[in-house]
Amino acid sequence: MRLENRRPAEGINASHENPLAEFAWLVAGSLALLGAVVAAIALAAEWIAPRLPYRYEARLAARFDPVPAPKSDEARRVQAELQALADRLAARMALPEGMTVRVGYREEGIVNAYATLGGRTVFFRGLLSRLDSEDALAMVMAHELAHLKLRHPAAALGRGAAVGIVLSAISADLGRAAAGALGQAGLVTLFAFSREQERAADAEALRVLAAEYGHVGGAIDLFDAFARLPAAQRDDHVPAIEFVRTHPLTAHRVAAAVEWAGANGVAVDGARRPLPAAIAAVRPREERAS
Amino acid sequence: MIVSNLELIPGKRVAAHLGLVQGSTVRAKHVGRDIFASLKNIVGGELKGYTELMQEARQEAIDRMIAEAESIGANAILNVRFATTSIAVGAAEILAYGSAVRLENP
Amino acid sequence: MDAFVELAILVALLATGFFVGSAIERRHYASIRAREARYADVLAFGFRFPADRVTPQRAFLVTGTVVVSADYFKSFVAGLRNLFGGRLRAYETLLERARREALLRLKEDARRRGARMVVCVRFETTSITAGWAPSIEVFAYGTALIPERADRAA
Repeated sequence: MRLENRRPAEGINASHENPLAEFAWLVAGSLALLGAVVAAIALAAEWIAPRLPYRYEARLAARFDPVPAPKSDEARRVQAELQALADRLAARMALPEGMTVRVGYREEGIVNAYATLGGRTVFFRGLLSRLDSEDALAMVMAHELAHLKLRHPAAALGRGAAVGIVLSAISADLGRAAAGALGQAGLVTLFAFSREQERAADAEALRVLAAEYGHVGGAIDLFDAFARLPAAQRDDHVPAIEFVRTHPLTAHRVAAAVEWAGANGVAVDGARRPLPAAIAAVRPREERAS
Repeated sequence: MIVSNLELIPGKRVAAHLGLVQGSTVRAKHVGRDIFASLKNIVGGELKGYTELMQEARQEAIDRMIAEAESIGANAILNVRFATTSIAVGAAEILAYGSAVRLENP
Repeated sequence: MDAFVELAILVALLATGFFVGSAIERRHYASIRAREARYADVLAFGFRFPADRVTPQRAFLVTGTVVVSADYFKSFVAGLRNLFGGRLRAYETLLERARREALLRLKEDARRRGARMVVCVRFETTSITAGWAPSIEVFAYGTALIPERADRAA
């Protein structure tokens, strides 16, 4: 009997072809799949959430009241004036049944304002100190009220929760590195929906502005104020790649406003109303006399 | 002590089967090896620290199996098999088991 | 921006894993082929019953172990594969290398102890996960035989 060891051919149990080709189509396939899944889930959640009756959202929001009461007389006056403006503008918008708009004022120097669940909107000192006319302030107010009217906070909450659940369900199976990479890719897709919401809010705000003031100069003023911000707070100190931002670029918002005015026969300029007294007195923290 | 994974040894006869004997160890690595392994995980390749760890663990399991066999009066362990499981993070259990026998010349 | 920095780090790790990992793999295969040629005189078989059952033989257990880890590129590809299923080519070469290496070490052990024949060779593959470094151990064992009577050498 013969006993020998013959060597089998190479390449049977392992393929020696270049792994880069496989890698390339795996990455492309994963991104496409992820994009499709996230888009579908986000659309579904975003479509459903605003159709739920507002009273559920109000009940949820009642559990967390994010804005503390104003601490100083000055802050109380500012808040009262903001609330008065909000009520005046809201009368021109068909807000959901049962929604009461409540405006909060915070003394941090952040140049921002936001709308959140439960008909709440909050303005920061930093933003108010940089506005020169009631028109510009009204543009911001109308924009935030538009978010509330269109139920964007509820939609964003639903979308975020749904996508988060789907991504963690997928990434439970994947390796650590792949999961991290896909998570980031998923977030980038989400930004597109947020920009869409901002455009819709801008359009509604322009309508309200035109109805109240007869022109949309306030919008132009507002976007100019953004352009004049110190570099660190402007949105163009990072590469002007809209794809990874939550808001459309300021330049695009200006263009959209001018285009809207042209399409609806509204003047782009006109007399500006002065700011209400307490708001006009708001200055950035560094300029305050102690 | 003869240790083999064969069922019979050429030229010898099994006089008595004395039962199953086992040897097992649970070993964990120490931090130094783990840090190197984390770096190696980027470029791949053999983890020599872990290889040594597993070799030592296996030898110890075999030694314990031999000790059990000696204690019941066997002079050979046949049909040896191994079972390895990852127990906890960075720890592995090695089990060696076989049939203890008394061999004699025919 | 965070996302870009993370992406850059990911690409750097993937590139390192791919290029350095491929180089290590090629070198390992070359070493394996060279040693397989050198150890061609130690015969290994899987059958349980030695061909020659009459000649008295000295029999002892011989083993070979190796623990290998996949590089970053292989792990990443494995993670993506999990979405689609199918053949995981990246890991196939890793495991083949590990198996051939383990068998070579088994033959080294046998020759070092004077044997030219190993029978009943078995393989065991275990996954060892230490922290975030997934690694695989391949263990080969068998029985080495040395004929006892010099005039009946195999």
